[in-house]
Amino acid sequence: MKSILTLTFALASLAGATTYPLTLTDDLGRKVTLKAEPQRIVSMLPSDSETLCAIGACDKLVGVDDYSDYPQQVTKLPKMGGLYDPKIESIVGQRPDLVLVSKYGKIVESLAQAGITVIAVNPETYEEVFSKTLVLGKIVNREAQAKNLVTGMRRDIAKVEILTKNAVKKPTAYYEVDPTPYSIGPNSFMGVLLTKAGARNIIPASMGDFPKVDPEFIVKANPQFILGVDAKTAAARPGWSSLTAIKAGKAIELPGNLGNIFSRPGPRMPLALAQMAKIIHPELFR
Amino acid sequence: MRSDAPQSEALTPAAPVAKSRWVWPRTFLLLLLLLSAIVFGTGLGSVNIAPGEVLGALWRGLASQFTGAELISNDVIVWQIRLPRVVMGVLVGASLSVCGGAFQGVFRNPLADPYLLGVASGSALGATLAIVLDWPRALIPVSALVLALLSVAVTLSLAREGRRFPPTRLILAGVVVGSVLSAATTALILRGEDRARQVLAYTLGDLGFSGWRDVLTVLPYAALGCGVLLLLARALDTLQLGDLTARSLGVPVERLRLIVVIAASVATAGAVAYVGIIGFIGLIVPHMVRLAFGASHRILLPLSALLGGALLVYADLLARTSPLSQVGIVTTLLGGPFFLWLLRREKEI
Repeated sequence: MKSILTLTFALASLAGATTYPLTLTDDLGRKVTLKAEPQRIVSMLPSDSETLCAIGACDKLVGVDDYSDYPQQVTKLPKMGGLYDPKIESIVGQRPDLVLVSKYGKIVESLAQAGITVIAVNPETYEEVFSKTLVLGKIVNREAQAKNLVTGMRRDIAKVEILTKNAVKKPTAYYEVDPTPYSIGPNSFMGVLLTKAGARNIIPASMGDFPKVDPEFIVKANPQFILGVDAKTAAARPGWSSLTAIKAGKAIELPGNLGNIFSRPGPRMPLALAQMAKIIHPELFR
Repeated sequence: MRSDAPQSEALTPAAPVAKSRWVWPRTFLLLLLLLSAIVFGTGLGSVNIAPGEVLGALWRGLASQFTGAELISNDVIVWQIRLPRVVMGVLVGASLSVCGGAFQGVFRNPLADPYLLGVASGSALGATLAIVLDWPRALIPVSALVLALLSVAVTLSLAREGRRFPPTRLILAGVVVGSVLSAATTALILRGEDRARQVLAYTLGDLGFSGWRDVLTVLPYAALGCGVLLLLARALDTLQLGDLTARSLGVPVERLRLIVVIAASVATAGAVAYVGIIGFIGLIVPHMVRLAFGASHRILLPLSALLGGALLVYADLLARTSPLSQVGIVTTLLGGPFFLWLLRREKEI
């Protein structure tokens, strides 16, 4: 009997099964214990929703935040509000046994008081996209799938990187998050992707991960690519019409929902990278 | 005071007294301050450009207007980015200060600022609408302008009592309209929270993308509004003696109040729509001028324009060379404590 138990246990751990109760420290530094495998999950972060679905736990989701829009399946789930206006009553009403939240909201307290298990899983850096995927895998008992996903993502990213790494010329690029203008530093996960796509980011690391940029800095840097701004808007900005990127027609509004995918630290990162690399180095993908 | 000095001056301590002897030297001083602001404002920034090169760039920029020659490198930064930004700073700083001075005079209230009648909250709502609903970027200031003027109109109609506009009712109506609009703005921001940062950046005031076209758009509002206010300076002086006295001296008090309010709101709305809400300039600059040069509006208003223009350009310079990053943050961060200091020093401003 004992040996059977041991065997089952060994098999289970070989398959990567999580043993509950599971205690872990979340991204808010809280110690949280999961008593059993969660069956009713609310995800308040679009990237967490995507990751859960990518590791085969989509059917455990019973609610998502307003901005979760991928995959198709999650768009049909009840909407639980956003970061600043979460609908706490709707969340509680779903009787979740786990709510995944961002580091920045303010719902942890109220949900915890309602007796609901809350875990902050909030990937921010490039490497965290992978490590948090594994954390999520452990939480929902999909460790093997999470490992496979991470391996697949790393492989797909490497496929692009092999091409861009040896590109003869790496053009300079400015990526605009919003027209304030905010941009991305090279150490942010988007900045890492931009570099891997074979571009040289004009924003130095010293300016931070999501800096507000002085427009004249961009003019001085004179990038060869302006990403996230359409040509007409860019050319209309004071002093921009003479920029190299605009003259060469390389001021580009990102096609389709690339801007959306590119800004999401989740399983579609390799896809975003491949699309970005095609924009910056079309010659490598012929 | 000269011939038009009110008879009852001795009885009304608030009566404006011009320190006329020192007006010209002090005007000259303020002009120098403004000039230095323009020189530093054009030369310094994320790229520092030597004064000689700045002058050259200005010359080549001016010439390019006629020859159509293309500007390169630092010339672009000086002529197409910094100079319009600086000129916009002067325009906006001057407008806000003149309007603030006129408002303080017409309401005889030292706490009045150009945003008193809901211009700021109106334009914030307009800009937020445009940003959240993803309208083309060029429509943001237009929407801000329309809603700013609309909110002033609503404030005026709420405050109206027959044909009169009593100051207390105007101020109260302004506060209420402001609160209601702010609530609407907040609700909108929550609906489009992924754009919250953009809205925030707008409401904190930013001269970042001011180009020549924006300057030319704001110019008529500033010129018209401030021009009217400067013409009314003498009447504003008389108004300081109280409604009754002013009326007996032949000042059409109600009409004056209405015209001042409309002129100031037009100038403020034009400025706010294009650069966002820049706090405290319109409140403290008139006080500084009043302390240093006397309270006569004929001196107060033009000198406020000079000082306000200079201070805003310096504030913007500080904003773009420091982590404070937005001019509205600088003016509020520095203006607030300064106002408190003024309050303690003067007991009654």
